Amino acid sequence: MLDINTKKLIKNAYRVTKDRGFTALRVRVPGGSLDVRYFDIIKRIAEEYGSGRVHITTRQGFEIPGIPMVKIAEINEIMAPLLAGMESAIGVEINDLNGGYPAAGTRNVSACIGNSVCPFANFNTTELARKIEKVIYPNDFHVKIAVTGCPNDCIKAHMQDIGVIGMVLPEYDPDRCIGCEACMKNCRKVASGALSMVNYKVKRDHQRCLGCGECILKCPASAWTRGDRYYRLVIMGRTGKKNPRIARTFMEWVGEDAVLKVIANMYAYIDKYIDRTLPKEHVGYIVDRTGLPVFCREVLLDVDTGSMGKVAGFIPFGGYVYERSSY
Amino acid sequence: MNNAYLPFKAAITGVMPQTASDYTYRLATDLDVRPGQFMEVSIPGVGEAPISVSDFGSGWIEMTIRNVGRLTGVIHELKPGGHFFIRGPYGHGFPLEEFTGRDLIIAAGGTGLAPVKSILSRHCSGQGRLKSLTLLAGFKTPSDMLFKDEISAWREKIDVQITVDKIDENSSPWDGSTGLITGLITKVPVQNPGNTRVIIVGPPVMMKFSALEFLKRDIARENIWVSFERKMCCGLGKCGHCKIDDTYVCLEGPVFNYTRAEELID
Amino acid sequence: MGVYIKNNSFDQLLTELSRDYIITAPVKLPGKGAFSDTPLVTYREIRGAGEIEFNEKSRFSPKEIIYPITQTLFYFTENEYSRPAVPDQGIIIFCRACDVHAFRRLDEIFLRNGGCEDIYFAELRKKVKFFVMECRESFENCFCVSMGTNRLEDYDVMLRVSGDAQECDARGDFAGIFTGYGEAVEMIPRFVEENHTKVTVPENIDRQVFKHPLWEEYSSRCIACGHCTVSCPTCTCFTMQDIFYEDNPKCGERRRVWASCMIDGFTSMVGGHGFRNEKGDRMRFKVMHKIYDFRKRFGYNMCVGCGRCDDVCPEYISFANCINRVNTIASGVSAHE
Ligand code: SF4
Ligand code: SF4
Ligand code: SF4
Ligand code: SF4
Ligand code: SF4
Ligand code: FES
Repeated sequence: MLDINTKKLIKNAYRVTKDRGFTALRVRVPGGSLDVRYFDIIKRIAEEYGSGRVHITTRQGFEIPGIPMVKIAEINEIMAPLLAGMESAIGVEINDLNGGYPAAGTRNVSACIGNSVCPFANFNTTELARKIEKVIYPNDFHVKIAVTGCPNDCIKAHMQDIGVIGMVLPEYDPDRCIGCEACMKNCRKVASGALSMVNYKVKRDHQRCLGCGECILKCPASAWTRGDRYYRLVIMGRTGKKNPRIARTFMEWVGEDAVLKVIANMYAYIDKYIDRTLPKEHVGYIVDRTGLPVFCREVLLDVDTGSMGKVAGFIPFGGYVYERSSY
Repeated sequence: MNNAYLPFKAAITGVMPQTASDYTYRLATDLDVRPGQFMEVSIPGVGEAPISVSDFGSGWIEMTIRNVGRLTGVIHELKPGGHFFIRGPYGHGFPLEEFTGRDLIIAAGGTGLAPVKSILSRHCSGQGRLKSLTLLAGFKTPSDMLFKDEISAWREKIDVQITVDKIDENSSPWDGSTGLITGLITKVPVQNPGNTRVIIVGPPVMMKFSALEFLKRDIARENIWVSFERKMCCGLGKCGHCKIDDTYVCLEGPVFNYTRAEELID
Repeated sequence: MGVYIKNNSFDQLLTELSRDYIITAPVKLPGKGAFSDTPLVTYREIRGAGEIEFNEKSRFSPKEIIYPITQTLFYFTENEYSRPAVPDQGIIIFCRACDVHAFRRLDEIFLRNGGCEDIYFAELRKKVKFFVMECRESFENCFCVSMGTNRLEDYDVMLRVSGDAQECDARGDFAGIFTGYGEAVEMIPRFVEENHTKVTVPENIDRQVFKHPLWEEYSSRCIACGHCTVSCPTCTCFTMQDIFYEDNPKCGERRRVWASCMIDGFTSMVGGHGFRNEKGDRMRFKVMHKIYDFRKRFGYNMCVGCGRCDDVCPEYISFANCINRVNTIASGVSAHE
């Protein structure tokens, strides 16, 4: 006699599983960084209500399976501190802390480990992921966002609707340069070949530079140091059944405010253009329908791209479709 | 305070091509030079490099310069009436007083002939105080031979033996020997090893094996001298490039007695 | 002359001194470290006492103040050479005991080696006054005590941070100036007497040590990046470079730029031949210079034990540990490590 509104259940971050009457709870970990005290709550739910196991998701959350659907209300109360500490505390508005997650369409904002550990990272990815979470959550639109510290893209930002990649503007003091060529050789080997030697000093071709900061890391004399911090936004990467593809650069050399504003605008764009006759429409397919110019017009509204910022006018998305005849 | 880095302008009074890529430049200057010393040669805006003095006389010095890089490439464009900049001379040359009354054998590989040329030309013009002088020289091919005219003149006065590594199609006719210079060393007449003194100048490997051959010919270590080639930016004991152990090649060299040279581990 | 000077008076004192001196000190530059959101502690000309970083060791040494990384020797036009101007003022350097000892090593090379004085170094060196910041305790990786560079006799001013004031021992002309800004106290300099890192430099180094397999290990570990030598206060090597101006190729300059025996090309001659291609051989060459052959030539060790090379090596190669390994081998304790 189970009478469950699956629409509501799904919005509450539970899912309909293959075991009738059993659900799985998806715990968000914005930025992928979790205070271990929350393990106690996750552990308790898994042990007392679930199968005693958790699945670690590709989006850096936990999925706790084997939960009887009837226990949802109880569990929602148990997880209140988790919502308070990991969502409310970073500014996300949660009206009812005892009611579980208020939405699930917008996925957890994942992040690589960033500059709290990684020497390559150009910024603190967890902090930015949390700021993004505050902008976009709770929301039912189906959107995937990830944040990565440098163009190594360890979080696979290129597989997201929006991928944020950290950049730094390398600043060069020719008087400090000993002409060892370490930066130039390394840029050629691992980055973009943006550097060349002219009169024993280094010249950087900004058109080719990725802002990865490798040159700064290699320099023994601090001739290269960190200038301002910037971001590159790659958009509309996706997996799925219809046309998997890697995200392409939408804008680069833009500041944090621009990143947050574009993301906020994208939600307004989705709201405006989404096909509500469908159960859900993924943002990438909306862009396929409206075309990039409409997307650009909407998401760039009131965005200050700054003096360095560059926005793509045209994006050859590519990807492929499953045409079996071509195999 | 004297600025030791400041070069002075030296006018080119003659350019004598030796091979396609080695030219000898005669410069007007009254510097006091010893055989084996070197100069820092430069062209403003292009660079500076150490070059050994190949010969000198009153009012002139000569340097034989091989076209191997940017600086030497630019120098090779220069004609008599032009100039380049020099400072020096630097280093200790050959200890000529040690050779008085001795049988001196010079083994020179390639451009290594340049730093010893003045010893040869002085002896052959009757100015030296050597008992005898023998020249063993090795070149890559006959067309790489330096100082061809001088060598013909020296042949009149002293024993000159020349070998080439190989004869290529563009080579001038060659009736001399082929093979490594060490081959000449095994056969060179040594009348009195105790009275014989040896100078070896050339690429590192050539110097190493030549020295070993001379040792086999009963020449004592302390009677062998070699001349080192190293990267040398300053010639003044400041830049550090030429240092080996506690020895600065620009100051204490480039000529070293073999007993010292074999101790120097790069 | 001991003087106790409150920080705001000390600031005024520096303002007075800045009329006659360029004042340089270690400063902490936020965000300028190689890793993002990390600071860089390095030397800069300062305007006020507040900029001075008293608590951390600088990544780079003060040598760059009078021996700049890139230094123009001459400017030339078609027919003339001219030298860049030398500042009129004196130069005050806030530094530590080991750094002052390091300047003596630079003096050995630039003022005396080869019997000629390097005019560029000499002119600036004459202007230097050392304001020495007392080390309350050893920093990580320092081994000044082992190298005998912890103590210092010849300073111009010795400073001790004491709450919101500086206790100073000012000498010479500075004694008079300093007394105007504070009250007389007794100030007897204290020096670090123990480091966490200790090294034993072997008296004699046999040629066997040069050929020991120890060095091979460094061939696989060292990446020849030169961080160690660039941060070292005692390295003096440089390379000369000629450049011409793109807009007027007849004009240009001859410069010298720091060089490092650890970096590719240090021994390469035109035509390509070079020596010490193995990084282990470079490591040996550097270590021997620091603790052996400089001493053979000048009578004391080159290394002052500041530990900067260990602070900065990206491959965690410890120079201090290498000294101890060389000592073990040299003293024959274990010939086959
Ligand atoms: S930031 Fe990266 S791409 Fe740009 S110059 Fe430096 S190493 Fe090359
Ligand atoms: S790594 Fe630094 S010192 Fe080396 S060439 Fe590049 S900027 Fe110059
Ligand atoms: S070798 Fe290392 S410890 Fe010694 S002075 Fe240089 S940087 Fe300091
Ligand atoms: S030879 Fe190496 S260790 Fe010695 S001063 Fe030069 S760079 Fe430093
Ligand atoms: S810093 Fe370390 S890795 Fe780099 S050259 Fe020095 S010893 Fe080698
Ligand atoms: S050439 Fe500069 S120290 Fe010898």
